[in-house]
Amino acid sequence: MQQHEIQRFLERYFRANECDILETDDGYMKVQLSVEMDKELMNRPFYWHYIERTGGVPAPMQLTLITKQTEKTNSLEGERLHFGSPRLHQIFRSAQKRGSFIRLYEESSSCEQTHIPLHPWLGLNVKIAYQCDRKKDHILSLGLHLISGTIIEQFHDRLQKLKLVPKIPDYCFTISPLIKPTSGIGRLERYIQRRISQDDHTWAEQAKKRWAEDLALLDHFYEGMEEKPECYYIEKEALKEQYKPRIIVSVINGGLFYLHPRT
Amino acid sequence: MVDIEMDETWKKEFIERVEKDGPWSSWEMYELALESAMHLSIPEFDGLQAPKHLPHLTPLPHQLEVAKQVIENMNGKAILADEVGLGKTIEAGLILKEYMIRGLVKKALILVPASLVSQWVTELNEKFFIPAVQQRKSYVWEQCDVVVSSIDTAKKSPHREIIYKQQYDMVIIDEAHKLKNNKTKNYEFVQNLKKKFCLLLTATPIQNRIEEIFNLVSLLKPGHLGNAEYFAKTYGKTRALQTNEHLKALVNKVMIRNRRVDTGIEWSKRHVKTVLIEFTKEERELYEAVQALKYDGALLFDKPFSLITMLREACSSREALFVTVKNMLDKHEGEIPDSFSKLMEKINTVSTNSKAEKALQLIQSIQEKVIIFTEYRATQLYLQWFLKQHGITSVPFRGGFKRGKKDWMKELFKNHAQVFIATEAGGEGINLQFCRHVINYDLPWNPMRLEQRIGRVHRLGQTSDVYIYNFAVKNTVEEHILTLLYEKIRLFERVIGQLDDILAKMNFANLEHYLQDAFLHSQSEGEMKIKMENIAAMIEFADKLANGGETYAAT
Repeated sequence: MQQHEIQRFLERYFRANECDILETDDGYMKVQLSVEMDKELMNRPFYWHYIERTGGVPAPMQLTLITKQTEKTNSLEGERLHFGSPRLHQIFRSAQKRGSFIRLYEESSSCEQTHIPLHPWLGLNVKIAYQCDRKKDHILSLGLHLISGTIIEQFHDRLQKLKLVPKIPDYCFTISPLIKPTSGIGRLERYIQRRISQDDHTWAEQAKKRWAEDLALLDHFYEGMEEKPECYYIEKEALKEQYKPRIIVSVINGGLFYLHPRT
Repeated sequence: MVDIEMDETWKKEFIERVEKDGPWSSWEMYELALESAMHLSIPEFDGLQAPKHLPHLTPLPHQLEVAKQVIENMNGKAILADEVGLGKTIEAGLILKEYMIRGLVKKALILVPASLVSQWVTELNEKFFIPAVQQRKSYVWEQCDVVVSSIDTAKKSPHREIIYKQQYDMVIIDEAHKLKNNKTKNYEFVQNLKKKFCLLLTATPIQNRIEEIFNLVSLLKPGHLGNAEYFAKTYGKTRALQTNEHLKALVNKVMIRNRRVDTGIEWSKRHVKTVLIEFTKEERELYEAVQALKYDGALLFDKPFSLITMLREACSSREALFVTVKNMLDKHEGEIPDSFSKLMEKINTVSTNSKAEKALQLIQSIQEKVIIFTEYRATQLYLQWFLKQHGITSVPFRGGFKRGKKDWMKELFKNHAQVFIATEAGGEGINLQFCRHVINYDLPWNPMRLEQRIGRVHRLGQTSDVYIYNFAVKNTVEEHILTLLYEKIRLFERVIGQLDDILAKMNFANLEHYLQDAFLHSQSEGEMKIKMENIAAMIEFADKLANGGETYAAT
C-alpha cells in the first residue's frame, strides 16, 4: 500500500464515518473526530464514562495523521502512518467491523418511468485461508441470484459498476426472494466447498509429509521408553498445531442487493 | 481432503439484521472493509510480508535471507547462530512479525537473560510494532499476547504453572547456549513448553561439546539427531561438530550461522595495539611472591588452578589478589603458612599500580569515551576510585545488575561519563556502538570471550574505526598469553567465525585447560615455552585446514 493510497483511504474512512476533515494537503490531514469515532479509536473509556456520568460537554479529539515526509509535515505534531503502523491496522479493523452488512438497491439510469422490478441477490465476500505451518489467503466475491439460484463470481466488480442507493428508488419494486437468506448462505457455502475441493492441494500434502517426518523423529527420540514422559505428548500436540492443514473460510462482508434484471 | 472450517459468526448476525431490517453499512464503508481485507490478505505461501509493514527498518540482506529460510525451509524451528553483532534480534523480530502478519502466531513467549528484557521489549515495540510486554505481574501471562521475561522468573511457581496453561504459538529463547545441559531446571522447563514455532538464539554454538549440541537440537526438534543412545553410539567419539560432515549437515538443517565475512557488509576497521607495562620493584616482588607459592603454599589451594588465577590477579591489581588471598585464609584452619604472611606483607608494600597509571595516560590522551574490561570486581572498584582521583568520571558495569539498571548505566555512560568499566559478565547483550575505544585491562584466556567484549562496540551500526588496546605486564603470564594468542596466531585480526572453526578443528574442548596445563605443570620456563609453541603450532595447523591450505589475509 503506497503512502498516497493510505492518505486516500484515511480520508474516505473519516468521511464515511462523519468526521470533519479540518485540513488536508500533500502528505497529511487533520481530522476532528466525532464522539463515536473518538470512542472507537482513542481508547479512553474512562474519559467517556466520566463525561456521561457527570453530563459534561464532550470534547472529542482531533487527530493529525501524516503519511508523507515533506517540509510542511516535518514541522507538524502528529502520528506518522505507514502500512505497518498499529493505528492503520486499528482503522482496518474498524473498517471491517463497520462495513460488514449491507442492503442496497440499484438506481436506474434510464429515464423511463415504468415500474421496474428489482431482483434480489445475496452478495458475499469471503476470505479463504489455507493454513498449515505456512499460510495463504484467497479472496472470493460471490453473488447468488435469490430467485434462480444462479451463482456468479467477481460479484463485487459488477456491483462497482452500478449506482447503488440505500433506499428503494421511485418507480421500482422488489421481487421477493424464493431462496431465503439462510439457505442462500448455505448454497454459497456449498459452492465454496466444491470450489475448494477442486483446488490444488499439494501444499496440504507437503505439510502432512513434514508432519509425518517430524513425528517419526519424535517417536524415535522416545523409542524404547516404557512410559513416555509428558513432554512427548506436549511435543506431539505442538506438531499437530504446527503442521495440520486447515482451510478456514470467513466472511469479510456481504448483504442483499436488489438489482435490475439483465440478460 | 483437508478440513474446512466455516466461520458462522457473520451468518448469525446477518440473519438478525435481515429480520430487524438493519442497521446497514454505507456502500463506502462496505468498500473500505473489503479493501482493508484485501490489504491484509496474504497472497502467497512464499516470500516475506514483514518488510512492507516495516518501511522504516532496513534489514540487511543476510537477515532477510535468514527469515525466509526459517519460514520456508525450516518450518519455523531454528537455531539462529550468527556471529556476535550481526543482528540476531532483528532476525528473530522479522520472523515473529512475519508469522504474526500471516496470522500463524498470536501468542508468543520470549525468554531472555534478565538484563536484556527491557531491550527486547523496546526493540520489538519500536522496530517491529509488536506490542511486547515485560512480565511484571502474574496476570500478564494470560492477558498479554507477546510477553518477554527471564527464564529464571518464568520457571518459578506460580509463573511456571500459568505458563504451561497458555497456548503459545511461538517461543523465542535468547542466549540459548545456556540450555546446553539437559539436567538443569531451565532445560526441563523449556522442554515442557509447547513449541509450535521456536527460535533459539546463540552466538557460540560450535565451540560447545558435541553433547551440548545434541541437547540444544533435541530441545528444538527432538529426534533430529536421533535419541540419546543412538547419538552416543554414532557420534560419541566425535569431539567437535566440524569433524563429522554428516553430523554437520544434519545440524545445519536446523541451524543458520552467518559470519561477518559472508555478509558482504563493509565493517569499520579494527586497530589493535599492544601496550606493554613494566612493573615497579614492589609490584615485581609481589608477583614473584605469588609465583613462589607454587612450591610451598600449594596446600592452601582449594582449586588446582588457583595459582594461575592469583598470578593473573597480581597482574591486574593488588586489590584483586588481596580478595582471593583473604578468602583462602578465611577458609584455612590452623596456622597461616609463612609464605602467605609474606605475601600479605608484599601486598601492603605495593603503593602504585603501573597498569592503572598507563590506563590513565591513555584515557587522557584519547579524550573520547573509553570502555575498560577487567576480569575482576576488585580491580573494577579500584579503577573507578583511581580515575575519580584524577577527575575522570566512570560508570561501573557488571552482569549481576538488575534489568533496568543496565540500561540506566548505559545511558549514564552515553551522556555523562567518559569511561565505562565492565567486568566480564557485563559484556553480554549490551550495545555500545557510540564508543570506539576498548582497553583490555586484563586479557581473558578464552578468545570467544574476548570477541564478546569487542562485539559490544564493533558491531553493525559502528561507523568509525575501532581501537583495541591490549594491556600486558612484561615478564608475566600475561605476556605469554599475549604472545601466544594475540600475536603469534593473530587472533585479533581474525574474523571470529574462523576462530570457531579453528578451535573446533583442533578438538580443543577447552583452550584454557591447555594453557593452564602449560603454566602449572611445567617444571621449567623452557618446558613451558615448548608447550606454548606446541599449542601455537596446533592452532596454525588447524588454521590451514580451515582455510583449505590458503593463508588468510587479514583485513
